[in-house]
Amino acid sequence: MPRPLYPLHPLTRTGRVMWCIALSLFSALLMLFWSPAHADDSEAPKAEGPYFAVNSSDPGTDRLPLKSTQVDVRISGVIADVTVTQHYRNEGQRAIEARYLFPGSTQAAVHAMSVRLGDRLLTARIKEKQQARIEYEAAKKEGKTSALLEQHRPNVFEMNVANILPGDDVAVELRYTELLTPRDAQYGFVFPTVVGPRYNSPDRAAVNGPAVGGAYLKSGEVPPAAFNIRVTLDTPVPVKEIASPSHEVVVDGAGTWHAAVSLKPTEKPANNRDFILNYRLAGDRIESGLMLFRGPDDGGENFFLAMIEPPKAIASRQINPRDYIFVVDISGSMHGYPLDTAKLLLRNLIGGLRASDTFNVLLFSGSNRMLSPTSVPATRANIEQAIKTINAMGGSGSTEIVPALKRVAAYPKADDVSRSVIFVTDGYVSVEAEVFQLIRQNLNQSNVFAFGIGSSVNRHLIEGMARAGQGEAFIVTKPDQAAEQAERLRKIIESPVLTQVKLRFEGLDVYDVEPAQLPDVLGGRPVVVFGKWRGDEGGPVNGKLIVEGRTADGAYRNELATAGREDQTSAALRHLWARQRIASLSDQEALEGNGAQKAAITQLGLGYSLLTQYTSFIAIDRRVRNPNPALAPTVDQPSPMPEGVSNAAIGAEVPSTPEPGALLALLVVIGIVGATLWSRRRD
Amino acid sequence: MIATHASGRWQGRFDAMPPLAWLALHAAALWPHWRWAAARLMDGSDDPLGIAALVVLLFVVVKLEPQLRAAPKPGWLLLSLAATGGAALALFGAPALVGALLAALALAAGLRSFMPSGQAVLPMAGLAVLSLPVVSSLQFYAGFPLRVVTAQLSTWLLQAIGLAAERSGTAMVVQGRLVIVDAPCSGVQMVWMAYFCACAVAAFSGLRDRQLLARLPWVGVLVMAGNVLRNSVLVALEAQQEQVAEAVHQGVGLVVLALVCAAVAAVIRGGRDARA
Repeated sequence: MPRPLYPLHPLTRTGRVMWCIALSLFSALLMLFWSPAHADDSEAPKAEGPYFAVNSSDPGTDRLPLKSTQVDVRISGVIADVTVTQHYRNEGQRAIEARYLFPGSTQAAVHAMSVRLGDRLLTARIKEKQQARIEYEAAKKEGKTSALLEQHRPNVFEMNVANILPGDDVAVELRYTELLTPRDAQYGFVFPTVVGPRYNSPDRAAVNGPAVGGAYLKSGEVPPAAFNIRVTLDTPVPVKEIASPSHEVVVDGAGTWHAAVSLKPTEKPANNRDFILNYRLAGDRIESGLMLFRGPDDGGENFFLAMIEPPKAIASRQINPRDYIFVVDISGSMHGYPLDTAKLLLRNLIGGLRASDTFNVLLFSGSNRMLSPTSVPATRANIEQAIKTINAMGGSGSTEIVPALKRVAAYPKADDVSRSVIFVTDGYVSVEAEVFQLIRQNLNQSNVFAFGIGSSVNRHLIEGMARAGQGEAFIVTKPDQAAEQAERLRKIIESPVLTQVKLRFEGLDVYDVEPAQLPDVLGGRPVVVFGKWRGDEGGPVNGKLIVEGRTADGAYRNELATAGREDQTSAALRHLWARQRIASLSDQEALEGNGAQKAAITQLGLGYSLLTQYTSFIAIDRRVRNPNPALAPTVDQPSPMPEGVSNAAIGAEVPSTPEPGALLALLVVIGIVGATLWSRRRD
Repeated sequence: MIATHASGRWQGRFDAMPPLAWLALHAAALWPHWRWAAARLMDGSDDPLGIAALVVLLFVVVKLEPQLRAAPKPGWLLLSLAATGGAALALFGAPALVGALLAALALAAGLRSFMPSGQAVLPMAGLAVLSLPVVSSLQFYAGFPLRVVTAQLSTWLLQAIGLAAERSGTAMVVQGRLVIVDAPCSGVQMVWMAYFCACAVAAFSGLRDRQLLARLPWVGVLVMAGNVLRNSVLVALEAQQEQVAEAVHQGVGLVVLALVCAAVAAVIRGGRDARA
């Protein structure tokens, strides 16, 4: 038998056992000091896009720091001066940073902000956006109470308040002015209370700006923050017919020059829908004319505002056949009440078409589909078929509006047919800039009309689409307004009022006139022009404003004289002019892309103290009050879900087929196994 | 052999240790994997089904104890050692589940080395693997394929009985209504239950390894069929009604689970006592 080969001298049995014990002790020691890596969730990036607020497991942190919003509106003539006061109070045991996403009017010129902390008042300064953010983060790290107001979109703002200590009561007040333009002799003041949950298309942030997120409560949950609004009206002519289609209000002094409106206290929450106030002046007059503001004598600028009543609309005798494309949003945020309103609107719109018109319907959510491959004539049968298909739709999915727009743009159009593209949506997207650019570039041969549906429509998108497409914006908050708005559209399409509008000033040296190019006047809106003027110091101003254009009946001309119309109290004109200029620069920038007008907009914002997409308001307290600033968590104040919008706007509630619970299933299986073995035993 | 030296006496004591004590020491040496398993159990990411499998395994081992012999077979012991080494190495880089699986298999091999020849070890190995927190990992890796296959087979079944059904991804559109087959519906829990049932019945029936291996594929087929049946019934109900009550979901699921497990038990038992 060959001798076995041992590479190493074999240990004795004892030796082998000892060696094994030593090895295992060594490895045990190694295990004790070896810590495996594990994932660290604190580094995970925060979720972008809207989400449902989650109940925190930490009772010491106050998750609802915003206690109330108080709004004070002073309408004087056509200028509204709004003061919004947000009260933040920390009722927890830990210092927090509060973040609150809230809306504003699309025409608002936010020009001042102040923070009241106890008995101290901090006035916010306007700074360039990145610089303000850096200063805010630095103040937050040092433990100083500070407030930062940033603009995400022209109608979406974010308030950040850092280092609110337990027991602190911080009142942040911001002021903005707005110009009220009447439509068909009716004035409307809108104060939006909640930003609707927006669909953020992935990877579009580079073109459109940061994603619009925010925490939301589930549909139907009562918002925790109180809301109160008070409007006072001072008009040159007595007010008649003050009413609010959105809220129950108490009106004092209707029929006089000075009226006051406040909310009637009810059980229903007041801050989950836009506050809309409509009023008319006696005799259905509108305030038109030239308003002048002379600036301070030491080289201040002088501003003017011209509002010219449009001529009456006359139905044109020639009715040309038109092609209508209806683009309807059927995403999750439209599910339920908004989609029902949209269906009624479409019934009215499509039902009112003439037999010589052709139409097609594009439905879009995550994908899009046309109801028929080409436009069909608006015969009774086709209309019925289209309405039947639309009625069967439910709302679900994301809101990819850009692909839908591209499809409409690529839709072939004959040269001799005029086309109207009508959008029906709630506007809950964050790609406004891209939409405007596409409309300007591709739909300039058509008229674009936009209908906003819902209680908290994204008016920035709706108004911007209409402006980009040389059309008109309509807002439908309730189904009973659908018929009326559809009728308005029909009238507008049939009788365009004033085209090729030109302004001329005689006897007044004006410059920086906004808008530089006057759009066609449609549907009962006045012509609104801002600008600056130069005059002799202290001397009276005599001049004439001449408006020229073409109507269906021929040439049009209107004159306004300026003598005796100076107003020392219209300081708001300064902000409003700058806001107009910033809006047209932003439109241009959306067309050119890449922040082309950033420098110009920043300069305007800093010069006129206005909140823009490149400038922010910041207020920092000098005193360091928080000893542990690094421990203060960031709390996103949740907004209520807009009225009528279902939870499908954020989370799809699609049914599924889950398996039974584990414990019950286990018991069942053990029972089966036991039964099997028992029966085997008995064999 | 009579020991004349202290170390020799200690060696004698080592040799005289009962096999279960060796196994217990072996298990204790693999403690990092049990620490991981316990952490997974406590953090709520998994249902604690593994405890049931562990209890059954311990019961089987204790029942087996009188048959265990003191001199282990070297082949199985080497395999156990190799698996233990692999488990130790796995701590340094491989996923924790791989290490725990190797540890469980090492223990099963160690048990087999003490068992008399001809005994089946596969049920014990299966129970050891099932006592680890595997359901979540199974869901992660096998969940999506299971869901797609379940959705497709359900769609065909519903079409066969006359309902308008089509599949898109892992969701089904039945008569215009969207129902998704998401993670809790994938049938992974039923997989665990079925294999647990198979291993438990096999362990107590004394089934031979080869026979068990031959019958295991049937377990897979039965589970798939059961999940498709459960899914089809529930989807058909969801499509007809607006809201199906939670109790109905649970009830249908449990009934199908009972049927599947009874079928698995019948298949594994084979209708006759296989003990030698």
